[in-house]
Amino acid sequence: MGESAWVRQTAANPALPAGGPGGSGFGMGPPGGFVGEQYGKAVWSNYPVSDVLRPGLQLGSLSVAQRDAAMHLLQSMLSPMGYQKVLDIMGSDQALSETGQPFCSGTACYTVGIFGEPSDNKPWMVEFGGHHLGLNIVIAGNNGVMTPTLTGAQPSVYQRDGKSVRVLAQENDKAFALLDELDGTQRKQAILNYEVDDLVLGPGHAGEQIQPEGLKASAMNDRQKALLLDVIAEWAGIVQSAYAGPRMEEVKAGLNDTYFAWSGPMTHRPGQNGSSYYRIQGPRIVIEFSPQGVGGDSTMHVHTIYRDPTNDYGVKFNGAE
Amino acid sequence: MKRILMTLALFGLVSTTALAHRLDEYLQATILSIEPGSVHAVMRLVPGVAVAAGVIASIDSNHDGVLSPDEQHRYAERVLADLQLKEDGRSLLLHLASVTFPTVDHMKMGTGEIELAFSADLPAVRGEHQLVFENHHQRGISVYLVNSLVPQDKNLQLEAQSRNQNQSFYQVTLAEAGSVTAQSFTWSGLAGAFHLGVRHIAEGTDHLLFLLTLLLPAPLLALAGRWKGRTTVRNSLTQIVRIVTAFTLGHSLTLALSGFGLVRLPSQPVEVLIAVSILVSAIHAIRPLFPGREAIIAASFGLIHGLSFASALNELGVTGWYRLISVLGFNLGIEVMQLAVVTVTLPALLLLSRTRFYSAFRITGASFACVASCAWIVERVLDEPNPISQGIESLAHHGVMLAIVLWVSSAVAWMIQGQDHLVSPGSAAAYER
Repeated sequence: MGESAWVRQTAANPALPAGGPGGSGFGMGPPGGFVGEQYGKAVWSNYPVSDVLRPGLQLGSLSVAQRDAAMHLLQSMLSPMGYQKVLDIMGSDQALSETGQPFCSGTACYTVGIFGEPSDNKPWMVEFGGHHLGLNIVIAGNNGVMTPTLTGAQPSVYQRDGKSVRVLAQENDKAFALLDELDGTQRKQAILNYEVDDLVLGPGHAGEQIQPEGLKASAMNDRQKALLLDVIAEWAGIVQSAYAGPRMEEVKAGLNDTYFAWSGPMTHRPGQNGSSYYRIQGPRIVIEFSPQGVGGDSTMHVHTIYRDPTNDYGVKFNGAE
Repeated sequence: MKRILMTLALFGLVSTTALAHRLDEYLQATILSIEPGSVHAVMRLVPGVAVAAGVIASIDSNHDGVLSPDEQHRYAERVLADLQLKEDGRSLLLHLASVTFPTVDHMKMGTGEIELAFSADLPAVRGEHQLVFENHHQRGISVYLVNSLVPQDKNLQLEAQSRNQNQSFYQVTLAEAGSVTAQSFTWSGLAGAFHLGVRHIAEGTDHLLFLLTLLLPAPLLALAGRWKGRTTVRNSLTQIVRIVTAFTLGHSLTLALSGFGLVRLPSQPVEVLIAVSILVSAIHAIRPLFPGREAIIAASFGLIHGLSFASALNELGVTGWYRLISVLGFNLGIEVMQLAVVTVTLPALLLLSRTRFYSAFRITGASFACVASCAWIVERVLDEPNPISQGIESLAHHGVMLAIVLWVSSAVAWMIQGQDHLVSPGSAAAYER
């Protein structure tokens, strides 16, 4: 079965949510204490699929051919780096589920949902995710927007085919590289004197802009700015280059007003992620990298969020506010 | 506690199951929204799976396993009592705005999120101020987060922010650039909202058309399902005052209710209903549907129009004391503009109603309102403009011209009428057939 046939089938499937991006409201969770974010009929969270059900089809319910088509759809929207990142995160969730969890974390629970009709000019959205992944990709003509997106890992390091995989390693290592490059005065600006134990703008905070803190990039030299962009590219570059290029331009345009803030140790053990929180915030971007210290080793469990406070769910393209 | 668990984990004493959820901590994340005159806050509380039972027990005062609305409310008030919001060292009174609870089952799993919204008035005075937010709720088990949104009001700047290690203490410096004293600030807010109200009516063709259409048959008497004869000037005036007052009471009520967030309705159905209200009053102007009960109809439809006014008020995006001022100013602006329009059209209408041309005028006006309202209904249901609704919109830009035309034609009609009187005196009462 070809990709387009698969898309048509799911789009027509009554089990799939109707409506499209820009359906109703702007990305806030509905009342009732739901720990996730809803936009129209799309739902994502950093909780397991059994706790917060994502609308769409679970990979575990698909035939091999259908599952391949789903992954192929994803592959065509993402860059090779982004696709590999998705596979690494899925592998981590699968590894967690194999330790025997009472909740749904593994690959079989990963869910693909299509919102709106796939179209050449009208906006439509693909949501793909599971326990530690919430990709929301809105396609509007030649534009592709991947905000908001949640990535995460637990365990952050696992074995695949006899090799060790460290998930979100670049997000961790590149940020430490930037921190290392800062001088004493800059570090004083960048490092927050308090603990940040969770995402501030996680699920349910679409469109919010908090008062920024940390070191402003206008006080960085060119090399440091390049390193900052390098960190951002780990999120902005998940989508294929036709979408990632314009996105990086938006980020660069606001770079001087972009802040880098850090909380936690300034070093990490080689081969492991650190336990430090960091945040990048600019006019068009929010990134948070938040190691989760929930009763375990925070270097083995991380949540990250990636947003554009002015264009979550591509509201700029579909006219919804 | 985190450190103890980590140490235990090193010795393999803690199983690794259920690692996905917050375990031994009670997360309390607060986002403050600071605007001139008020602070709004949303606080999300997520008890971890290991502490959830204790938290639930502390809320469930009658131990029946159910968190009743009353228990939820009392818990929310208890949380508020553990918070402190201070401006320059003075404690501000916190008002609970809303409480949302998850199911007990979700809380037990560590995936339930309690959401509290609260607000406080912020005496707005020129210069720099220190705002302090402290959270000491369940300090033994809690993890705190607190942040402020960038203010919508560009005159308000948030400057230095500082926190203690665990964020139970947060301080932010507020600087109001170009702000004025508390008193004149309030006056400027009132004036701003007043102008918005005036503009809203001046540009709100639909509200005006509804009112004018409802006034069309006011000088007439309904007999046996038809408009017959006319009533005295005094009765007409009384009737018009009653209709306008009833409309005002209706829309003031819902404007106030939704202005303070007590009623919230999606705008599309409200806008459709407004168009329907015009259609109903247009039909009534042709054939009496509810003679003598115009005031009740005006009041009921006023309720709907008020909801729409409130959404215009939301453009101001203000809260607290400033919100009260805005609702007041906005409503005053609406009334003044409404009265101005009635005052301008009323004499012409009364004059015209003393002539035999009034019947034709009334039918024409009502038919126009019928067409306009139908065009608006279609536009608002489909959510896209049509040629008729666009035509009416451009016609409405010439409001002054329309008023002049009305005045001139009523004067002309009166003069022709005067000549008729010479020909056939005493027949005026039979003109409305």
